[in-house]
Amino acid sequence: MNKNFLIGTALVLGLFFSSCSAQAEMPAETGTPAETEVEAMPTPSVESGECLACHTDKQRLIDTAKPEEADHEAESKGVG
Amino acid sequence: MAPLEPWEKVLVNSEAFLATDHGELTCIECHSGTNVADKDSAHAGMVASPSEQPDVYCAECHEEISAAYPSALHSTQAGYWTTLNARNGNVPEDHPALDTMFNNHCATCHTSCGECHVSQPKNVGGGLFTGHVFEKTPPMTRSCTACHGSRVGNEFLGKNEGFPGDVHFREARMNCVKCHEGAELHGMTDATAGAEHRLNGEESPKCTDCHPDVAHGSDGIEMHAQHGGGTTLSCQVCHSVTYTSCDGCHVAVSEKSGNPFFETQATYMTFLIGRNPIQTEERPYKFVPVRHVPVAPTSYQFYGENLLTNFDSLPTWVYTTPHNIQRNTPQNASCEACHTNPEIFLTADKVQAFELNANRKVIVGSAPGPVEMFLAAIPQPAGHADLASDACTACHAEGIRNAPIFPESHIGFTSDGCIGCHKLP
Repeated sequence: MNKNFLIGTALVLGLFFSSCSAQAEMPAETGTPAETEVEAMPTPSVESGECLACHTDKQRLIDTAKPEEADHEAESKGVG
Repeated sequence: MAPLEPWEKVLVNSEAFLATDHGELTCIECHSGTNVADKDSAHAGMVASPSEQPDVYCAECHEEISAAYPSALHSTQAGYWTTLNARNGNVPEDHPALDTMFNNHCATCHTSCGECHVSQPKNVGGGLFTGHVFEKTPPMTRSCTACHGSRVGNEFLGKNEGFPGDVHFREARMNCVKCHEGAELHGMTDATAGAEHRLNGEESPKCTDCHPDVAHGSDGIEMHAQHGGGTTLSCQVCHSVTYTSCDGCHVAVSEKSGNPFFETQATYMTFLIGRNPIQTEERPYKFVPVRHVPVAPTSYQFYGENLLTNFDSLPTWVYTTPHNIQRNTPQNASCEACHTNPEIFLTADKVQAFELNANRKVIVGSAPGPVEMFLAAIPQPAGHADLASDACTACHAEGIRNAPIFPESHIGFTSDGCIGCHKLP
């Protein structure tokens, strides 16, 4: 009984201290996020939403790009 | 300049762009199309380059520039037609062939507002500069020298191996628009509004705008005073170094791909002084550096026979303003480095036989004589200032009115050069 009590107590204390140490490792808060920056962020107009959704998405542009035609004057030789 | 990936060309930086004045407009206000997710539907009816119509898309805010720019050389490309028509002889029957040639090979150099201020020129593959943010000052290497690279860009930036970049770039990090101001580029000055060629009208920019002492002869530099304070020699004669010339450009359409292409036969480095072929009040210089342009009598043969029947009407060694200015150059190191140095003058032996007639106005008879000869020359009598005629040989060839006959050693000289040595007191 005593042995079980001691093991149980040790586990509880262990959990307690480990939780304390985890808290100590958390990065210190640097204050509230700069609310003014969030407010200053321009928002796309509704009429441009789909245009910008695509033209700001690199992967979507890669996926939907048409293969480029060869350079118009690729067969040229010498200095132009 | 490395080409951009297709996605890179159209990637918008919404945070930066929406914070600008242009970002207050919706995409569709300028580009048309439809605000839907499907690409093909969105792009139906899209205007990729709205500023090709500055009166429609730009004038509301940029009224003056939008009104002027369509007559600027970057828009009209009038300089091409000025030389094409001259060398063709302006034969009406040839115009359809020349139009086709021009549209295939030359028209790609036409520049819209956007191709300087928001994206790279189409001529070099296009692509937004900075996520669709408009740049008041075009970025030099992605805009100006992207097109003007093989000659001006390489000279200015020092990319010609063995030859330094322009002092204005090396020492002062000046970019193109420091000299070539917006009003000039937009066709808003007297010289550039509706210009037929970049060398028409007032010289602009002009070195003496920033270096006025040279023009007044008051900078204490003897060589400036001795050479007419900037009227006998263009500044580049003494202050530019070796630059590129090209030969034999021919254009055609590929049988394989159907695309137009060109082939230049040779590119080489030169520094040659010739007579000024366009001597005017605005450009009074007797001597200027000359650069060989790659035109040949058969350059446009693919499009028709004898399209350059008037080939000899313009020189192939043309007035040039190399963009590699240096304070000290090989030719200004001493008097002898230029005088009596035939290596740096465009004499007839340096011109190909079939081009001799075209270049008769620029070919120099011989290098200028020793400086001692100039200094020892008898000055003109004071009364000569009042003479109506400046044709010295009218009297001095025959000895009219007891004028001393010029010596045999002068026979190779041209009459307009007398006052170079025989100055008024």
